[in-house]
Amino acid sequence: MNKFVKRLRALWRRGQLDRDLEDEMAFHLAMNEKQSGDSTAAQRRLGNTTAFKESCRDLWAFTRIEAWWQDIRYALRTLRNSPLVTATALVALALGIGANTTVFTIVSSALRFDMGVDHVERLVALHPGEGLENVDPRSQPSMDFANLRSQVKTVENLAAYRFSAVNVSDSRALPERYWRVQMTASGWALVRPKPIVGRGFGPDDERADATPAVLLSHRAWERRYGGDPSAVGKVMRIDDVDHVVVGVMPAGAQFPEDADLWTPMTAKDLMNPEFRRALLIFGRLADGVTLAAAQSEVDGVARRAIPGKVTGPAVSVRPLLEMIGVYEARAMLYAMMFAVGFVLLIVCGDVANLLLGRAAARAREISIRIAIGAGRVRIIRQLLVESVMLSTAGGVAGGLVAVGGLRWFENMTAQGRRPSWIQFTMDARGFAYLAAISIGAGILFGLAPALQLARVDVNSSVKDGGRGAEGPRSRRLAGLLVGFQMALCVVLLAASGLMIHSTVKLYNAPLAIDPANVLTMRVDLPETKYATPDRVSEFYRGLEATLGSLPGVTHVSLTSHLPLSGWDDFRGQVENAAGKPGNMGELSGLVVDANYFGTLGVRLRHGQAFQKAEGVVVNESFAAKFWPGQDPLGKRLRAADGRDGQPWMTVIGVATDVQQNRLSPLERTPLFYLPYDAEPQRTVYVLARTAVPPGNLVEAFRRAVQNLDQNLPAQDVMSLENHIAQQRLDSAVFGKLFAFFAAIALLLAWVGLYAVVAHGVSQRTQEIGIRMALGGTRRDIFTLVVKQGMRQVLGGFAVGLPLALVVTRGLSHGLVGVSPSDPATYASVAVVLGFAGLLGCAIPARRAIRIDPLAALRHE
Amino acid sequence: MLILKTLARAPMHGWGVAQSIQQTSEEVLRVEEGSLYPALHRMELDGLIDAEWGQSENKRRAKYYRLTNRGRKALAEEADHWRQLAQAIARVMEAV
Repeated sequence: MNKFVKRLRALWRRGQLDRDLEDEMAFHLAMNEKQSGDSTAAQRRLGNTTAFKESCRDLWAFTRIEAWWQDIRYALRTLRNSPLVTATALVALALGIGANTTVFTIVSSALRFDMGVDHVERLVALHPGEGLENVDPRSQPSMDFANLRSQVKTVENLAAYRFSAVNVSDSRALPERYWRVQMTASGWALVRPKPIVGRGFGPDDERADATPAVLLSHRAWERRYGGDPSAVGKVMRIDDVDHVVVGVMPAGAQFPEDADLWTPMTAKDLMNPEFRRALLIFGRLADGVTLAAAQSEVDGVARRAIPGKVTGPAVSVRPLLEMIGVYEARAMLYAMMFAVGFVLLIVCGDVANLLLGRAAARAREISIRIAIGAGRVRIIRQLLVESVMLSTAGGVAGGLVAVGGLRWFENMTAQGRRPSWIQFTMDARGFAYLAAISIGAGILFGLAPALQLARVDVNSSVKDGGRGAEGPRSRRLAGLLVGFQMALCVVLLAASGLMIHSTVKLYNAPLAIDPANVLTMRVDLPETKYATPDRVSEFYRGLEATLGSLPGVTHVSLTSHLPLSGWDDFRGQVENAAGKPGNMGELSGLVVDANYFGTLGVRLRHGQAFQKAEGVVVNESFAAKFWPGQDPLGKRLRAADGRDGQPWMTVIGVATDVQQNRLSPLERTPLFYLPYDAEPQRTVYVLARTAVPPGNLVEAFRRAVQNLDQNLPAQDVMSLENHIAQQRLDSAVFGKLFAFFAAIALLLAWVGLYAVVAHGVSQRTQEIGIRMALGGTRRDIFTLVVKQGMRQVLGGFAVGLPLALVVTRGLSHGLVGVSPSDPATYASVAVVLGFAGLLGCAIPARRAIRIDPLAALRHE
Repeated sequence: MLILKTLARAPMHGWGVAQSIQQTSEEVLRVEEGSLYPALHRMELDGLIDAEWGQSENKRRAKYYRLTNRGRKALAEEADHWRQLAQAIARVMEAV
């Protein structure tokens, strides 16, 4: 360390050091001379002063570092001397490195799962199992939290929470809709972030006599209290119950859900049957416990508490992360990483080829350097320094590309909801990755030309004027690189082809509704104020009447789920052909009112829609599933939905299948439509067909809701087309990205092929001339060149095809109605690649047949 | 080691060190005077000795070297080492 400082000081005062050395030697000489009186003898006694001075200087210098510095300066000079090669390589590198950094940042941010819980991957959620037949479903007996908590040992901190929307009102501001998590104290024990103001929750808050308390999210605190610390102690009215604000969580705290408010889960809440159905039970696997072990223990505990027959698992224990959409899509994200990684490899191939081409021209220079004593290791190092400098410059430009790319991605996905740990901005990890791939790429594409050059045969290349490196080996290497690029290109083309195919299918799939000119809005009535079905119905009747009277509104209706947005699961029974009730099972359905079919333009195949609650409508898939080949009209079904004695209802209409499945829109789900009057819902979507652009009515809709209940906010007021676009966002975004990567890859691979074939032609001018002189036809020459180029394309295809089949399997999650091994897609990949390949070969081949044999023979 | 030992007696310049080694060894050990300097500089860099410019007896600018604490320690170690080696050699040579 000390040594380093001394050397640094010496570096700073290099002249001083030289003078000192000079003086020291001169002094010694003078003393010698004085002693012997003879200057020659004095010098002889001292020896070779220059050499001694030199070795002293070396001691004081950073020899190794200064050699690096020399290499860098030399590299800069070389790069500046061939501006075209440098610029081309820089553009390609900036694109490749930029795209990689962008995708890495997106993926690493999306998969961070920074929810404020340690070891988030060890958290498990308990779901009701499939094996509970003929058990009264409303009680969810297997999910008895108290029972599980007291007995389960393999899962620690067993906790329960409920996520729901609440209405918040107080004297401070307008009523607002907030997301609230009610959670047991055991769940709070897992949460890492501590409140920044006030206190958190403990077991005391769960006691029956505790004052209702609420913890604010940072967001809600800013929005409602302007970030004022004195908010603690204030009273907040949540669903018409007063809660005391006890603290504020830091920004970004969002476990177990991205909530605005947290309240304790009291023992009384846990007993509430309506709560129980919406309860989510989770915990952390105890140390050393596997998922399978936890599954079997928890299931055993649950079974012992159930009197009835159990045919399968009563409880299923799954990783908590599986409930997060991003986690489910991770295969897709990794596939995207692969895709851009391939783009960068193709870029490296191109740059390597560029440098190989230049290597030929530099063989002489290198030979001379070797001849005058440069070691081969030093030469390789010098060349690698050069390529790393090139890639570092590319990386700097790539960083800018990444910043732009992230901004673009941010804009594109701004509409969708996403967890708060996902932030598409360059962070430290992004920069580290950028640096790593920049240097890595430099070494990768620099290695081939460097090894090639270091192997130069000094004798021959100094003699024959710089053609030494252009042997068959170099050409084979270039060909190999192109084949490799082609293989990667096949993978990318296949992936993007599949994505495009899937996106097209998605957009072309019949919605079976008319989405234009429909405005939608979500309304959520608090159960405290709207306790009975009558009050709920009354409110919505009033709302429908108000909205229907607005100018420009032609139809108004209610539904429990918008198109492409799922359905409710009911426990229910369906009458079979003989009129006997079938087994209790899961039935999927929507709750809609009489106007629903008319408002959305859903066609009824048979029968008619209900007016009140006199019957149900089923969709075609439902009819086909339960009554194949029979007339569904007049058949009966009933949906228990947690209540005994639900009446049987007669099917009075059959509707066409409407897309309800969000994740796989092409899947037809058997659905029934339950009349709203039979099953009034607190949370509904209001749909209104308008005669004017729906955007014009947004404010009027908000006001209409406020006029009926001033504590009630209208949510997600947007056009149906907007809603559908949001649901399809993933597919559109990924489709665009893959198409973009594939386009770059094809272009770069094509450039690589073209360059190699064209270079080959120019190298073989003489040979081609001879062939022509000996009677080779133009056709022969053309085929010769094209054949040679296409060999690489075909080889690349042969290698790329199996690779593509493996890689695209990761896409299956994001593909809609297209198998990852879709033959049509692969066929089109082959066509595109073949065409591009032919074009890449044909242009240089045309040049080859234009060669004038006479001129060619004189060429040299 | 010899240089360190010489400097242990008194701070000295390069020429002085060369002279001193020759004289104390009664002309048996002759240092190649020039190669003394790289050695001195290495020791300076390693922190075994310190250097300072001063006036010599004949009013010339000269660089004086002085032993540091680290140098003293190194000298002790090396001297020990040497003593052991010398004794070992002596024992081998005296054995019949």
